[in-house]
Amino acid sequence: MEKYLVYLEQRDGVVKKSSIEIWNALQGVAALHQDVVVSGILVGAADLHQLSKKMYGQGLIYHASDQKLGLYNSEHYARIVAELFQRGVCSALFFADSILSRELAPKLSLRLKASLLSGTLLFDESGAACGTERAVYSASALASFYPQHPLRIYTIDSCALPKNALPTDHIEFKAIEPYGADHREDFFPLLRRIVMREGVQDLTEAAIIVAGGRGIGGAEGFVLLDQLAFLLEGVVGATRPVVDEGWRPHSEQIGQTGKTVAPILYFACGISGSVQHLAGIASDSTLVAINSDRHAPIFEIAEYGIVGDVHLVLPKLIAALHDFLKKK
Amino acid sequence: MDIAVCLCFVPDTASVIGFSDQTSELLRVNEVINPYDEYALEEAVRLKERFEGSRVTVFTVSPVSAKDMLRKALAMGADRAVLVTRTMVLDPYQTAIALNHSISDFYAGTLPDLVFCGKQSTDFQHGQVPPMLAELLGMGAVTGICALHVSTEGLEVEREIESGVEFFELHYPALLSVEKGLNTPRKTSIKSVMEARKKTIDFFSLSFHEPPSVVMTGIKPCSRKKRCRFISDEKELIKVLRKELFLP
Repeated sequence: MEKYLVYLEQRDGVVKKSSIEIWNALQGVAALHQDVVVSGILVGAADLHQLSKKMYGQGLIYHASDQKLGLYNSEHYARIVAELFQRGVCSALFFADSILSRELAPKLSLRLKASLLSGTLLFDESGAACGTERAVYSASALASFYPQHPLRIYTIDSCALPKNALPTDHIEFKAIEPYGADHREDFFPLLRRIVMREGVQDLTEAAIIVAGGRGIGGAEGFVLLDQLAFLLEGVVGATRPVVDEGWRPHSEQIGQTGKTVAPILYFACGISGSVQHLAGIASDSTLVAINSDRHAPIFEIAEYGIVGDVHLVLPKLIAALHDFLKKK
Repeated sequence: MDIAVCLCFVPDTASVIGFSDQTSELLRVNEVINPYDEYALEEAVRLKERFEGSRVTVFTVSPVSAKDMLRKALAMGADRAVLVTRTMVLDPYQTAIALNHSISDFYAGTLPDLVFCGKQSTDFQHGQVPPMLAELLGMGAVTGICALHVSTEGLEVEREIESGVEFFELHYPALLSVEKGLNTPRKTSIKSVMEARKKTIDFFSLSFHEPPSVVMTGIKPCSRKKRCRFISDEKELIKVLRKELFLP
């Protein structure tokens, strides 16, 4: 019997799409294997009605909805999840890979004496989640990781999960009271406030990215990328030299010391294709490269390429795209 | 202020790593201080310069050969180094345990005021050691900070999350793991390199035998090389992308 607990990450009352994708993928596994049961844990208030519409299969979701738990607090959250995991005699805990889970999961792995693995899930013949596979050494290699403890915690890249489409069978929410009297206590570090960037899709969740490198030549050149991204409903990204020069903010940096992205489509404009930059792009993204240097390394991994000056190619591409969209 | 900084050493990204028999061949690879750890060390040294009487000690769990790279950390401004020698590769859990032991031993029952770590290492990118270490030391922690405001009473930190920024308040002692861009790591001068030679490196060997929590097996190279289809005309590119159903 494998009892899986899925952590449904919420912020501001909205549950992350990636958490729901993990629930749905595991429900797909449970549908095929009788002895896999999937439950969920949600900490903080959320619109349960909206949430249940997006979730497949069946299961119980434990909900600690106390007002005070809305803002992330690693100690409170760790105690709630650990207590539920142990009480429910769960065998594995699943998180979507995120800033929060990278902080919370290691803490929980010590408290629960569970092996912590991240990457793409590997299943054994009986349908049980066992190891994971992940790119290492700046994405030049793929390694497999296996747990040494019977209890496991996984932080999963939901983009790599098999997509399925099950009907929503029966999702039940069960309110749980935070443990004991401790929940009134303040545990430091205290999250005082969050400032969200309005109207901007997050790079790590974007399906289309238009990225610029040194070849753009300056901050002004990025206007063209902004225009292209707007037409494609995508997000603008940048390489490390661009951020170091101050042309774009660090939040847009993609690469080894920047963000890791997994878009369906990636435009690499004026980017030479250094290993450090490519390390931040998922290997199954389709890359379109625009570069004036025919021998730039980027053309060795791009699916499509245009050799030319970005400042000349992009306006033509934008104009053609504009016409195409108008005609639709 | 007593400040500890945890360092690790990673292959220089430009190095080509060989793979054979499901393991990696690192013997001929050039190793450097993990880039994220440089930001951590720089921040610690800046605080030392700001708060008189502070000391920065760097800790690493590495093979003995790391002592040469530790000289760079000392040249950047650390006062002392502790090298916990290991002969085999450890998983993040074992590394955190080893760091916990050595930090607890070094500070003899008390805790340093601050522990700085890089957010993750560029080789395996687990990012697990800092939060595990904080849990073992019993310290509050925030991972991946991008800004830091320090006073004698406490700390305020910022960190970037998906589509936003979080603001935290912390008390001492605290552990912080650091994101790239927190500062600009200093370059070492000849003078600082000479002075570093006089600083102490303590060597400890690991005396515990904690089994790993996770085992890494089966490394294989993955090649991303593709055959690029060159397109001469922008309109043609749109047709092609539309065919692949990328366009909205």
